[in-house]
Amino acid sequence: MSFKYPVVMPKMSMTMETGELINFHVGVGDQVKSGDVLFEVMTDKIDMEVEAPADGVIESLVANPGDVVEIGKPVLIMLTETEVMAFDFGTDNEPVAAVEVVAAPAPVVPTPVVAAAPVILNETVKAVPKARVEAANRGVDLRTVRATGPDRTIMMEDVNAAQLDPAVTKRQAANKALIAKGIEMTRGIAQASFTRSVKAEFDHATFIAAWAKVLRNRPDLAVHQHIGVALIIESKYGSALPVFKDPDQSNRADLAALVASTTQAAKNGKVPVAMLSGATTTVFDLTSYSMSSATPLLFPNQVTSVTIGYESATTKIVSLTIDLNFCDFYDGALLLDALVVAL
Amino acid sequence: MSDRMLTMAEAVREAMSIAFDERPEVFLLGEDVGIYGGAFGVSGDMYHRYGAERVLDTPIAELGIVGAAVGAALSGMRPIVEIQFSDFTAQAMDQIANQAAKIHFMLGGALHVPMVLRTPQGSGTGAAAQHSQNLEPWFASVPGLKVVVPSNPADAKGLLLAAIDDPNPVIFLEHKLLYKIPGRDPVPEGATRIPLGVSKVVREGKDLTIVATGIMVNKSWEVAEKLAAEGIGVTLIDPRTISPLDMQPVFESVEKTGRLMVVQEGPAHAGFINEVIAQMAGSSTFGSLIAPIKRLAGMNIPIPYAPQLEKAAVPQIDDIEAAAREIVKNWR
Repeated sequence: MSFKYPVVMPKMSMTMETGELINFHVGVGDQVKSGDVLFEVMTDKIDMEVEAPADGVIESLVANPGDVVEIGKPVLIMLTETEVMAFDFGTDNEPVAAVEVVAAPAPVVPTPVVAAAPVILNETVKAVPKARVEAANRGVDLRTVRATGPDRTIMMEDVNAAQLDPAVTKRQAANKALIAKGIEMTRGIAQASFTRSVKAEFDHATFIAAWAKVLRNRPDLAVHQHIGVALIIESKYGSALPVFKDPDQSNRADLAALVASTTQAAKNGKVPVAMLSGATTTVFDLTSYSMSSATPLLFPNQVTSVTIGYESATTKIVSLTIDLNFCDFYDGALLLDALVVAL
Repeated sequence: MSDRMLTMAEAVREAMSIAFDERPEVFLLGEDVGIYGGAFGVSGDMYHRYGAERVLDTPIAELGIVGAAVGAALSGMRPIVEIQFSDFTAQAMDQIANQAAKIHFMLGGALHVPMVLRTPQGSGTGAAAQHSQNLEPWFASVPGLKVVVPSNPADAKGLLLAAIDDPNPVIFLEHKLLYKIPGRDPVPEGATRIPLGVSKVVREGKDLTIVATGIMVNKSWEVAEKLAAEGIGVTLIDPRTISPLDMQPVFESVEKTGRLMVVQEGPAHAGFINEVIAQMAGSSTFGSLIAPIKRLAGMNIPIPYAPQLEKAAVPQIDDIEAAAREIVKNWR
């Protein structure tokens, strides 16, 4: 299956509204790999190279060099076999509807993808000796291998599983690179984090609806027309970030069903392309890892980010990170307080 | 090949008899080894066949018995000492550890001590803490001693003949419970020797390597047989000589199976089998392990008198089976 995927004018700063297309590095029919430079963009602040978010073929060039393109509008269209795009930053507009096309592009010869540094690292990895030897021989980073052995020890079959499916490895690497790049873009933003213990039971649907409602009451913090909650879902392909639009305004049962079906789809490596853009905030649930908190990091164009952590059988830890350009410390405290109350 | 099935007591007696016939300097001494035929009947009728000059009943004085044997060995004889229970070697330890083991080295190699000390060891007879110990590490930790732990009649015969030939003092530890049990393999006729310091691969399987000593070889064999019926393959290795120790077959096997379990009767703490683990951990085979090394050993307690507690104090077939299943199932 291949999909048409529009590569749009990215939003590279909070004030950016348009960008000028300087030139293309590719032409129609070119085979590109994830990370290849597609085109260069000039804004009022910086010039930037835009890279392919996935492997694929250039189907058409939509804009022309010299054009001033609004953020979120397509610059070129790619055909890709990659269904999971970890995240589509840079736009709060709907992408051009992704259309499944019948004709598959020429088969892409798998080549090793140089993985970006993993975002979340477990520095102490437990692995049986042979798994270490095997991983070293094959160049597998054990920190990226899912442990299924006793006491979370990586076993031989875990290393084999990580290695046997090059498509999986490749998609993992692509997803990581994408997330890392996004986080990289927000590194210079002044941020602050807040943490609170909350005694409540909630599922993901309840949580994201409550969080959206809290944000809805603070239109002064909104930089987008809508509220889109990205929920990080771990799969063997890496992290997927499907976006739930205005979850506080949908019927609760419908939302619960949508979250459940999307989670399942993401675990199988398939997220509808339409759900990969438009995030205004991100939620990461760490409870299944028995972790209490990780510093929630801001994704581009998002003012807030939240993690849910495990504290005890009846209590959870909720952590909030804010962009200090939009909220001050007081706002952050109020937001977290409102979220706890809403839960 | 013979198809004679002997007990270990019969096999040991046969080896001693062959040595008696081959060499006039070989003789046996110990408490009740003569007219009574040995506390466990091992020397049997040898007193009647070879006479009181070669089968000597001694007073109850272990230090004196071993001292006499060391002196005889230095004078050109080849004594075989029997100590009724290995626990009693504590009485004779100065002669064993300080004299027999050291004289060759103290005298610049001028003299040898070609002595064999045979002694029954182990629990399972309801004889309580002072008659049931497994003291393998006591002897294995003394340089200058060779230590043999046979697990079956055929090995006992061949190893004892080699031990009697050996110019060094050899401690030969026989498990009481094996004396009356026929082995799985026939005992060859004649003076077939089995070299000291060569481990035996008892059976081969693909999933797990078990290294066991003495009676634990037999228990592990039962487990291997049961698991084989379910498609779980066990390679069972019997070092036979615990000092010097031949690790090569263990390394070769673990390179194939990736899993190692070690089983001994004696207490886990500072036990002999820990040496196998230590050598594995420091070897290049370490990188072939796909599972933590599993140790099954006796509890760190004196052997209890109550039969149920006595059984519970050392690994039994069920324990070995459960541990083997666990390691194969959980570590893939």
